[in-house]
Amino acid sequence: MSGDDTPGPRSDDTSGPRSDDTSGPRSDGPAGPTEEPVPGGSDRPGPATDGGTVAGRGRDGRDGRAGRETFEDVDWSTVGGGRAVLSRRDRGALASVAVVAAAFAYDLLVLPSGTPLVPGPLPWDLSQLDWLFVLSLVLSAWYVVVPLARNRRLTRHYWRQFRKNRLAVASLAYLGVVFAVGTAGPILLAKPELALTKQYQPPLFVGVDPSVPIRCVGPVVEGACRGTLAHPLGTTSDGKDILVLVVYGMNVSIRIGLIVPLIVITVGTTVGTVAAYAGGMVDEVLMRYVDVQQTFPAFFLFLLLTYIFGGSLFLFVLIFGFFGWESIARLVRSEALQRREEQYVRAAVGAGAGTAYVIRRHLVPNVSSTVITATTLLIPSFILFEAALSFLGLGDPTVPSWGQVIAAGRSDLDTAWWISTFPGFFLFFTILAFNFVGDALRDALDPRSEGGGGGGGGA
Amino acid sequence: MGMRWYVIRRLLWTAFATFVILSATWGLLAVTPNQSVDQLQFQVASAGGSAEEAAEAFRAARGLDRPLHERYLDYMTNMLSLNWGWSESRSQRVTTAIAEAIPYTAIYSVPTTILSILLGLSIGLYSATHQYTKTDYAATFVGFFGYAIPNFWFAIVLLLVFGVNLGWVPVVFDADAPLLSGRMARQLILPVFVLVTGTIAGTMRYSRAEALEYVQAEFVKTARAKGASELRVLARHVLRPAAVPLVTILVGDILTIFLAASYLVEVVFGIPGLGQLSFEAIVAQDTALVLGTTLIFTFVAILGNLLQDIAYTVLDPRIDYGDR
Repeated sequence: MSGDDTPGPRSDDTSGPRSDDTSGPRSDGPAGPTEEPVPGGSDRPGPATDGGTVAGRGRDGRDGRAGRETFEDVDWSTVGGGRAVLSRRDRGALASVAVVAAAFAYDLLVLPSGTPLVPGPLPWDLSQLDWLFVLSLVLSAWYVVVPLARNRRLTRHYWRQFRKNRLAVASLAYLGVVFAVGTAGPILLAKPELALTKQYQPPLFVGVDPSVPIRCVGPVVEGACRGTLAHPLGTTSDGKDILVLVVYGMNVSIRIGLIVPLIVITVGTTVGTVAAYAGGMVDEVLMRYVDVQQTFPAFFLFLLLTYIFGGSLFLFVLIFGFFGWESIARLVRSEALQRREEQYVRAAVGAGAGTAYVIRRHLVPNVSSTVITATTLLIPSFILFEAALSFLGLGDPTVPSWGQVIAAGRSDLDTAWWISTFPGFFLFFTILAFNFVGDALRDALDPRSEGGGGGGGGA
Repeated sequence: MGMRWYVIRRLLWTAFATFVILSATWGLLAVTPNQSVDQLQFQVASAGGSAEEAAEAFRAARGLDRPLHERYLDYMTNMLSLNWGWSESRSQRVTTAIAEAIPYTAIYSVPTTILSILLGLSIGLYSATHQYTKTDYAATFVGFFGYAIPNFWFAIVLLLVFGVNLGWVPVVFDADAPLLSGRMARQLILPVFVLVTGTIAGTMRYSRAEALEYVQAEFVKTARAKGASELRVLARHVLRPAAVPLVTILVGDILTIFLAASYLVEVVFGIPGLGQLSFEAIVAQDTALVLGTTLIFTFVAILGNLLQDIAYTVLDPRIDYGDR
């Protein structure tokens, strides 16, 4: 259940095989986009930076080959200031976050509680978790979608690499459907309610002994109660529609899968880069803390925290997020340590670039592909932890998560097998899909690694 | 010299990490309101007594009215002297409850570990030497399957098919069966199977990836050229160098997966081991037992990490410990 994705024995920076072969900038690999035109017409001079998360690496990698880039053109008097540390994209993201924060403040302080923020035919009253969810949607739009859209050529290149893995493409499509349905579903579908007259309805195309449901909603054919279109996946022991429960479970899983990575990436990248760049005591203290956190087995840490603080979905997200970033921090630190020694960073420092500038413009974009891949492989373990805790009955009783439905159907397995089975299938395929996508991402983003190499699958 | 110093430092570090974790747990428990006080207050109040006095008496009896540093020292002394408190839900000492549960955990985890390592290693090596064959793809698929399938759900489905429908294995775990008997073995088939499928994926994929690095190495080709048998090449020339990084995976990562998986599997199958003990303690809000069982798992993980690092240094003479 660990989501540790270290290709080498451990992510310890000195011993892993990974650290031996990374002397050159990453995109020097054979698959690197070498003939990409210089980003002309950029609003800013200087080493490419706007590429950000995925795209930025390729560009910064190119900076390593001295002379190709118009490095001399950089007007360091304009980039040295605080303004330049934040790119236009950062400022855009900050502005959107400010809008979300303002809406949150308005909802919290001005609107009387109980009044939905979004009135109209589909009233939407945002919970704490919804706010975090909106925030992570906004941030992923700015830092994943925008760079991909702006840098079409690189996007196409990555897509060509990614497309080679057909399973991963199918997985991505599946995750897209889960995301869309899980986001829109709970807004459109009413929350499943207790309906004792509709207990134990079988799924479509399946017949069960009429003694199983109290009253058969569908037709009774040849002495067997058949499922109906009204409940395509059947109902639970308290008459809740399983399809609706599954959709609500998707919502839980995508929240976990989107908000937790946001926290994990933010904290992990910050700690990793700061430790690598500051060095000395700061590095020592931060990394020793990471060691302690890594020593505590994640599941039992979550179990203990859930026991102490109680298990709401909001708390799960915070617990997973703030106690699950140690592997990312280690990865980032070891990557950043190598990057720091690269020529382009030295050149930037030599030309007078400040620490914040170097971290923001050179270190973070260059470690981003590692972070994205590792996080993709971490997500399934968080989803599994949530399902496991809900299955144990330690989860949020108000949120119908997959683990909870599986637990609910456990005692009825011999008569109503469908209750536990369907949410289990969705859980299984979601975890599988994240693993396939993560593996393909690694192959696409990291031309050095061979397909299937390392201990992928997060296990 | 470097190595011994490294091992000593690693030991000291382990002690320090344990100390930090114990202190953090104490801190967490100290800041959270005690639920049994609330319960007691409610009981006393509904019986017509003074809730405040009852709470005071409760605190005094538990020593909660003393200054923080005394309580902290007390807690640490108790933890180190294995005086882990009294389990109220089971009316026995926490250490006794844990000692009674350990055999049930060991009886299935030992075979699981052995099987998972043996099978994982051999399938991984086979995959590496027969890369891109159908067997390799099948093995990779099994690996993905085993990793992605939620253990607790897989356990339920298997229990339904083989226990309820086919009747090959008992559905309810019989704790009275002698530990080393056919009856016990029969009811442990499914738990072991579930756990092996869950943990084998890691072993398999790591050993495949590690072995792949050496399958095409010059010294392996030389060994083949001089006429060494395929088995000898595999065991002496491929497995040996690959074993170093593998050890770290086997102990560290597998242990983590295994601990969490066994917890759920015990709950599903009703095996009265450590996992179920811990789970029942959580349900019964028995803080002393929750703490004790969680810490046991944590200590196992800490010990595993320590062993892994030491094994690493012993196995790989190339590592430089100068700055570690």
